[in-house]
Amino acid sequence: MESNKKYWKGLEEYKNTPDFVENNKNEFAEPLPIEDVLNEAGLSTVTPRRDFLKALGFGLGAVTLAACQTAPLHKSIPYVIKPEEVVPGIPNYYVSSFNGQSVLVKTREGRPIKIEPNPNAGVFNSGTDAQTQASVLDLYDVSKLKSPVLDKAEVNWSKVDEFVKGELNKAQASGKKIRVISSSVNSPSSKAVIADFITAYPNTKHVQYDAVSYTGIIKANENSFGKAVVPKYNFDKADLIVSFGADFLGTWISGEEFTAQYVSNRDAKSLKAGKMSRHFQFEAGMSLTGTNADTRVPVKLSEEGPALITLYNAITGNTLAGGTLPNNVTADKALKLVAKELLQNKGKALVVSGSNDVSTQILVNAINSAIGSYGTTIDLDNPCKRYAGNDAEFAEFINEMNRGEVAAVFILDSNPGYDAPNAKAFADGLAKVGLRVSFSDRKDETASLCNVIAINHNYLESWGDANAYEGYYSIVQPTINPVFNSRQAEESLLIWSDAPVKEYYQYVRNNWEKTILPALGKTWKDVLQTGVFAATAKPAGAYTFGLSLTAVIPSILNNSKALAKDIELQVYESIPMRDGKHANNAFLQELPDPVSKVTWDNYIALAPKFAEKLGFKEFDVVSVKDDRGYTIELPVLIQPGQAQGTASIALGYGRTKVGKAGDGVGQNAYPFVSFTNGTTKYATTVKLSGTGKREELAQTQTHHSFEGRNIIRETTFTEYKKNPATGSGNEHGKHKSYDLWDKYEKPGNNWVMAIDLNACTGCGSCIVACNVENNIPVVGKEEVRKRREMHWIRIDRYYSFNQENDGHDDHAAHGAHGHSNGINSVTKEKEIADLTEDKMNNVSVVHQPMLCQHCDHAPCETVCPVLATVHSSDGLNHMAYNRCVGTRYCANNCPYKVRRFNWFNYWNDSRFDNYLNNEFTQLVLNPDVTTRSRGVMEKCSMCIQRIQAGKLQAKIEKRPLKDGDIKMACQQACSANAIIFGDGNDPNSEVSKALRSERIYYVLEEINVQPGIGYMTKIRNTDTTVQA
Amino acid sequence: MSGHNESILREPLITGQDITYAKITDDILMPVENKPNRAWWIGFILSLCGATLWVVAVGYTFWFGIGAWGLNKTVGWAWDITGFVWWVGIGHAGTLISAVLLLFRQNWRNSINRSAEAMTIFAVICAATYVVSHMGRPWLAYWVLPLPNQFGSLWVNFNSPLVWDMFAISTYFSVSLLFWYTGLLPDIATIRDRATGVRRKIYSIFSFGWNGNVKTWQRFEAVSLILAGISTPLVLSVHTIVSMDFATSVIPGWHTTIFPPYFVAGAIFSGFAMVLTLLLVARKVLGLENYITMFHIESMNKIIILTGSIVGVAYLTEFFIAWYSGSEYEQYAFINRSTGPYWWAYWMMMTCNVISPQLLWFKKIRTNIPATWILSIVVNIGMWFERFVIIVTSLHRDYIPSSWAMFYPTWVDVSVFVGSIGVFFTLFLLFLRVLPSIAIAEVKMILKSASEKAKLEQIKEGHLDKEQVAEYVESLEKFDSVKQEEYAKI
Repeated sequence: MESNKKYWKGLEEYKNTPDFVENNKNEFAEPLPIEDVLNEAGLSTVTPRRDFLKALGFGLGAVTLAACQTAPLHKSIPYVIKPEEVVPGIPNYYVSSFNGQSVLVKTREGRPIKIEPNPNAGVFNSGTDAQTQASVLDLYDVSKLKSPVLDKAEVNWSKVDEFVKGELNKAQASGKKIRVISSSVNSPSSKAVIADFITAYPNTKHVQYDAVSYTGIIKANENSFGKAVVPKYNFDKADLIVSFGADFLGTWISGEEFTAQYVSNRDAKSLKAGKMSRHFQFEAGMSLTGTNADTRVPVKLSEEGPALITLYNAITGNTLAGGTLPNNVTADKALKLVAKELLQNKGKALVVSGSNDVSTQILVNAINSAIGSYGTTIDLDNPCKRYAGNDAEFAEFINEMNRGEVAAVFILDSNPGYDAPNAKAFADGLAKVGLRVSFSDRKDETASLCNVIAINHNYLESWGDANAYEGYYSIVQPTINPVFNSRQAEESLLIWSDAPVKEYYQYVRNNWEKTILPALGKTWKDVLQTGVFAATAKPAGAYTFGLSLTAVIPSILNNSKALAKDIELQVYESIPMRDGKHANNAFLQELPDPVSKVTWDNYIALAPKFAEKLGFKEFDVVSVKDDRGYTIELPVLIQPGQAQGTASIALGYGRTKVGKAGDGVGQNAYPFVSFTNGTTKYATTVKLSGTGKREELAQTQTHHSFEGRNIIRETTFTEYKKNPATGSGNEHGKHKSYDLWDKYEKPGNNWVMAIDLNACTGCGSCIVACNVENNIPVVGKEEVRKRREMHWIRIDRYYSFNQENDGHDDHAAHGAHGHSNGINSVTKEKEIADLTEDKMNNVSVVHQPMLCQHCDHAPCETVCPVLATVHSSDGLNHMAYNRCVGTRYCANNCPYKVRRFNWFNYWNDSRFDNYLNNEFTQLVLNPDVTTRSRGVMEKCSMCIQRIQAGKLQAKIEKRPLKDGDIKMACQQACSANAIIFGDGNDPNSEVSKALRSERIYYVLEEINVQPGIGYMTKIRNTDTTVQA
Repeated sequence: MSGHNESILREPLITGQDITYAKITDDILMPVENKPNRAWWIGFILSLCGATLWVVAVGYTFWFGIGAWGLNKTVGWAWDITGFVWWVGIGHAGTLISAVLLLFRQNWRNSINRSAEAMTIFAVICAATYVVSHMGRPWLAYWVLPLPNQFGSLWVNFNSPLVWDMFAISTYFSVSLLFWYTGLLPDIATIRDRATGVRRKIYSIFSFGWNGNVKTWQRFEAVSLILAGISTPLVLSVHTIVSMDFATSVIPGWHTTIFPPYFVAGAIFSGFAMVLTLLLVARKVLGLENYITMFHIESMNKIIILTGSIVGVAYLTEFFIAWYSGSEYEQYAFINRSTGPYWWAYWMMMTCNVISPQLLWFKKIRTNIPATWILSIVVNIGMWFERFVIIVTSLHRDYIPSSWAMFYPTWVDVSVFVGSIGVFFTLFLLFLRVLPSIAIAEVKMILKSASEKAKLEQIKEGHLDKEQVAEYVESLEKFDSVKQEEYAKI
């Protein structure tokens, strides 16, 4: 329906005027007034210039006023007279020693902040152990007493002196006994002071007693060879090492030093020379040493004695009674094999036992004599002086006290109130003593029973010396003025004995100049510079064991029989806590146990099958009761490799009066220690019962298998000799790689690292060194349990089980037998749970230090939205804390999971009051390293402050950087020299040479992130050299 | 004008009797112009409690640090980014409905686009709160913006997917807001015209001087079309970019090229489910059954089956590729997903996202309102688990087994998420009270009642072909919503 109607809107349209026609062309009758707005008139708004200036003026004024708020005021006091040797920002180093390890103490602006090994120490300590690294924190411990204490009140020294002298004279006059109780003293000056004290008060006797005793070895050597000493063991001279429960890489005598010796026969250099020692370990609990053994055979504590008899019989052809292990066929077979190998390695072998039983050690002496160890691997003429404790004397001392014969006791550097085998009897006896003086720096378990606490200096405030080995002397010199009103114990003793020289510095100096230095031909100044002196070692004699063993064997068998009656409990020193002396050290508390990876606790370790048999699951709290009625409750830890029927509990925990960090951590296992047959015994039998409770241990690693992934690459020594690249994945040449990304130019240096998996024993001293160097916060048990520990370097510990050969039943000897499939013996998901008892006993362990790999194509760098983590031109992956907003994307995208996030403000949050929430302890911080606020990511910086300092030093000296100028904190602490750092652009640097090794592989190299840290394959010397 | 072919087989988009333009206005503005009913109050108080919980939980996190959450050295993201992706995904349906369906001239969208867009905006707000609150130092959140600065002209890292994310989310939010608000202008003007007093003043400000003349309408249409054009690529790009947070990483289970399409499908899937969850309640409570009809519900259910199946295929493809890749890390990541310690999360996801939506193939179920509502919630649960599975199960066991860890949420994690739902509903319920939940102007466009009446007249007067009439009446019978007595009389 077409419509023809026409509508018009107005007359203009109707008339069709020219105006209308013109306007009608436009869509809109009126154009948009854009021109009006944009022309000048549009800009002349109602706000004139004056108003604008007024507003501006007000704004400026308001902002100025707002800015007038007082900024936080930090008082700093300049030196009025600047000490000559202190230059702000420049560290000073002083030689000193700790636990017989010679060290350099780094001080900044007059405060010690880091302990480093003394390069002059030579063979005695090439690194430092975790305790030494952490020891600097003890200086800044707020739990220490600030003044001496007399009858529970803090007083000044003159009152203490007056009281003690008075009491001493009374005691001397009464004819009653005076006793100085100490842990083993090897310091010549301290010994002299004690001798002087005895001269002044002739009723005095010095009793040395160690929480963890070596009396068994001393007595055995006295018995066998007439030398009451702990010998010097030379693990470096041993091609075959057989250890029965001695954790010689960890806690046994001098683990730090033995590590260096041991590794020297197994590291890259030794392997290149075609040499690798062989190591058998027979033990109940899985020790650090056991994890490094080529073949480890679990034996019960009660089987250790019979095992030694078996070995002795097999070596000498004797038929001593008890030389069988009826219930441990694998151990029996392994021992027969070990005997043959020992005979083959006569003069190059060493057998050690961790037992403190005299009879057992006599038998060990007999074995060592039979294989010609004396004069080669064992040196009785340059003995170790670290341990001289006498358990019997200490036991007698407790009896003396209880009989009321003792009038005065001086307790130096020991804590029998906590760690004596019978602390109750000790405390009861002590109550009967009139004068009870403790030299402790805090009101510990023993000091709180004393009427005088004559607080001692920390070793960093002290003068002193040490004599760890015959002819080997080191000095202790103070690096800071005493912080509190403490006085050195030796000085107190000198004052109380009215010695002519009361100042201990002078005393030490006189002593050295009189007795030590003339023989060495050195001056006191030399001592202060080099710190250590070793006299020419005496020739080590070849001693022969010529006594009859008939008296010894029944004693060993009786001990064994007594242990076999129930669950056999081993109490041992753990690597982090040792004897518990440093329990208040937060760095040590948070150092994961190298084997179990547990922090902040002790536990009862049970073998998986045995725990199942008893009906316990992991983390079940069980009650442990010995036959004397002592009971503690501890969570269960399932420990692969633990001998069936045994349990292990670490000493050093359960302190009650040590301070904020250490009080109430774990349970005290010392009461399980007993005094039998003249020595303390660290094994007993216990009953376990469930409590229905569960307590999750704070572990830094909860998955224990590497799932067969090639992040761990290993081979056997036999295979290695055929082709050094075996197992590294590069047997058939390097893989070709393709790259999407541009290559980073590294014109100057290229900082890289090489880590030798065969050298690393897993001890963890690098972790503590890194903590101290880089101000890494300690987060506490709860946070570790939430998997939030902050360690920049960690040591991954993986278990794998050894595959059997075609159904052979000799599992343990498998390692020794024929061909091992080390490379193929990988564990898959859930396989661990399905393992049979024997497989589970026979696990291999590998330790892998893991830290930021400083990837050239770092996945963290591409994902950071704010460029807080970027690559440097010298191959480092930088982390700019100030720029970080904390999205955590970098940590998620890190394939190595080495980035650490500050979940809380650990520096200023009362919930993390482990150590650093006070100004005093904060003095331990390294001023070269920023502390990180909450919400910020952090990670290994490759000690960038050290790199910068090294570069600067070279620049000042107008020379190019030399290889070895810069050392990482972890590298420096490592006794095994497992970590090599340096410039990859310098083809002659140590690290470049190491990275050219055939054993080198890169973890996760297949994802082409191009990590900067090369790992050398783990080599196991599992193939026997004799015909079985 | 005669002789045009009319399609009579189309179901009317607005049902009910005697629907007039005035009635539409009255119906839709009913909740805006009257006091809220009890149902609204109950919902609002509950939501407000949730929102308060959110404030407490986020405040606690800001005060103490991210450590308040259950994250650890291995799992750096968990409920936070799960929540973020979940909310962003939900937003997608709104944009799809308002923009893509507009471009394709799917007029049925007119009744649901307003609410869906509002949902988008509130969902993106919830997602954005996670962007800030998951940061370790949220007070520096602006550093991810490429702002001129005095830090030596320090730029953001344009390589980082988080920076792309920031651009994607902020673009998405601003475009969605603009689009939504533009569409609201005529409706705000309608409220203004009917209001008095202060309300009139307020609405008058927010209506930007809308006067309803031809020119305004013409520009309105043009702007809507342009904004729809801008929004359309966003439907695809935003979740593509979100997926790249994972896809560009090196973590097995994240490093997957299938992620962009898979995430977009998942987003639409969850978004439609959320629209259904909201509107099924809203149409009942607000009495809008005539505008949001069974046709809408069924259509949306069909989209849910489609996208749910796409997502299902993606899940299976991932498994195939993991096997086919030969990469042990990749293979383990997927074995761990389905059989590892978080197996229950994986199977929760599979059940909710792939298996249960298949029920919608049955017409009975997809036209059953309670069943649809329950399924829509199931889908949303499933999609939350999908993100949780991707994020947490990939992270908690990646390359180096020593660092394998479990993630356990704390009360703060849970509260932030539950609280964000509270924030969302608080905003949505406030929206229902102050703005029309259905686009009045657009709904009027699709009202068929006038032509319906004209048709009846024509039939009565016998102007139409008998055959055609019979077919017409027959087709009407299919739709019970039109009163047929009138036709029966003929």
